[in-house]
Amino acid sequence: MVLLALGALLGLAIAGYALFTAKGTRSRSVPPEDLALVNSRPILRSDFMSQVQTEFATPFAQSTPDQRAKVLQEMVAEELQVQRGLEIDLPSFDPDVRTAMVAGVQLEITADVLAQQPTERELRAYYEAHKSRYVGEGVLRMRDLVAKSGSAAGAEQTMANAQQAMTALRAGMPVDQAVQRYRLEDSGALMAAGHVDTDEIFEFAAKAKLAREIYAAAAALQGGQVSEPIRQSDGVHVVVMLEHRIPVQEDYAAAADRVWTDYKNDAQTRVRDANVRYLRGRADILLSPEARELEELAR
Amino acid sequence: MQSTAGPARAAGPKGARRHRLIWGIATAIALLCGLGYWLHLRSLEASLVRRWPAELAHDPRMIRFAVSLARPVYSIRCASCHGANLHGDHAGGAPDLADSIWLYGDGGIGDIENTILYGIRSGHPKAHNVTDMPAEGRVHQLSAPEVDDVVEFVLALSRQAHAEDAAERGRKLFYDKGNCFDCHANDAMGNTDYGAPPLLGPQWNYGGDRLALRNTIYSGRHGRCPAWISVLTPPQIRALAAYLYVESHAT
Repeated sequence: MVLLALGALLGLAIAGYALFTAKGTRSRSVPPEDLALVNSRPILRSDFMSQVQTEFATPFAQSTPDQRAKVLQEMVAEELQVQRGLEIDLPSFDPDVRTAMVAGVQLEITADVLAQQPTERELRAYYEAHKSRYVGEGVLRMRDLVAKSGSAAGAEQTMANAQQAMTALRAGMPVDQAVQRYRLEDSGALMAAGHVDTDEIFEFAAKAKLAREIYAAAAALQGGQVSEPIRQSDGVHVVVMLEHRIPVQEDYAAAADRVWTDYKNDAQTRVRDANVRYLRGRADILLSPEARELEELAR
Repeated sequence: MQSTAGPARAAGPKGARRHRLIWGIATAIALLCGLGYWLHLRSLEASLVRRWPAELAHDPRMIRFAVSLARPVYSIRCASCHGANLHGDHAGGAPDLADSIWLYGDGGIGDIENTILYGIRSGHPKAHNVTDMPAEGRVHQLSAPEVDDVVEFVLALSRQAHAEDAAERGRKLFYDKGNCFDCHANDAMGNTDYGAPPLLGPQWNYGGDRLALRNTIYSGRHGRCPAWISVLTPPQIRALAAYLYVESHAT
C-alpha cells in the first residue's frame, strides 16, 4: 500500500516536472528540404538560396561560405524575431503589422482575379450590364433666383411677382435687368469664392448644392429656358438655365479602359467580400447590444 | 485406402509446417527487400533534396533518379498547361519549358525550383510578381496606331516581315513613350528579374505573329503559374526542377 502511494507520488512528480519544463515537440533531425529548424519552424533550403542570391547579387553556386554563413545567421535571427512577434501577439496591437497582414491576406485571395485577363466579350457584357456608369457628366450654367417673401400675407404677392419675372425672362429680358425690376436675389446655393457662380458646374455638383425641387426643375431645362416658379421656405425660386450640356452615353470604345478597371475592381471586391463572409461564417463573434443594432443597420 | 492415407497423414503436419516456414521466410525476405527498397528510395529522395543544385546538375545518377521521379508528376500536374512535350501553349501563355529561355532566373535547378515552389502571380507572397506586361493600349500609354508601330518594330527585331517606316517609328516608341526597354532591356534580350522575355524570337509565350503581338501590347499579359509548395513534396519539386533543367539543356 505504502509502495503504491510512493509510486503514485513519484509518477505525479515526474509528470509535473515534465509539464512545467516542457519545450514543446522537438525534432531530432532536420528534414532534407530544410537547412535549419528554429523552434521547429523550418528555414527552407530554397529560401536560403534565394536570399543568398538576392543579398549578394550572385548565383548561389558562386557564393562564398562566408556569405552563406552571414545569410543563415540573418535568417535565423529573422525567424526568432518573427516568432517573438507572434509570442507577444504583435498583430493584436501594432497597426502596421495588422495592415500588412490584411493586405497580405487580400492579395493572396485576389491573386487569381488580379492575374486574370478578361476577354473582350466579357468586358462588353460587363459594359452592357453597367451602361449607366458610362455616361458623360452633364454640365450646366444657371442662375437660381429667388423672390423673398416677408410674411404669410405677402406670399401670394411674392408668387405673382415671381410669375411676372418668369414671363419677362421667357420673353427675353436680360437676367440682371429682371433681377432689378422684380427685386430678385440669387439664392446663394451656387457660390464660388463669395460670388454667384455662373461658370460651368457639373451636374453632380449642382445636385449636391441645390434643393431637390430646384435641381429637378433645373435638370429638365435646356439652355435659354426658364423654370416655372417653385415655392420654397425662403421664397419663390425661378431657375434660369444659361447653358446645359446633357449627359451623353459613352460608347464601349470610349469607355473601354474604365470598363476594364471597373471589371477588375468589381471582381476583386466580390472575392474579398466572399472571403469575409466565409470567415464570418466560421467565426464566433459575440456582439454587445449596441453593436447588434449597428450590425442590423449594416444589413 | 488406409495404407495410402496413413503415411500421407503422418507426413502432413510436418510438410505443412515446412511449407509455412518457407512461406514465412519468403514473406519476411520480401518484406525486408521491400523495406530496403523503400528506405533506399527515401534515402535517394533525401539526398536529392539535400544537394546544392549546382552539385546535383553534375551527378548523372541523381539526375536519372530525379527524371524518373519527375515524369509522372509532370504528366499529372504540369502537362495540362505546358503540354505533354513541354513545348507550352500559346493560347494560354504557358511557356515552352524545353527551350533555353527562362522568364525568371538563369534556368539553373535552384531558380526553376523556386518558381515551382511559389509560382508566378500565384497569390503566394513569395511568388514571382515584380511586374506584369502593361496594357499599353488599353491604359492609353500608347495610341492604337502607336501600338501597331511597336508591333512592326518587334516583328523587325524577330526578323519577320514588317513595314520599315512603322518599325522605325516603333523603335522610337520602344525607347521613349512606350518604356518597353525598361523591362525588355535596351538590346531587347529581356530581363529575368522582371520576368520580361526576350523579343528576338522565335520563341514566344503568346505567339509571335502580328495579331498575337498586338493583343499582347494593347491589352497586356498577366501570366501565372500555381504555387506547388503545399501540393507536391520537396523531393517531387526538386525532381521536377532537375527534369526541366535537363530537358532545357538537352540541346
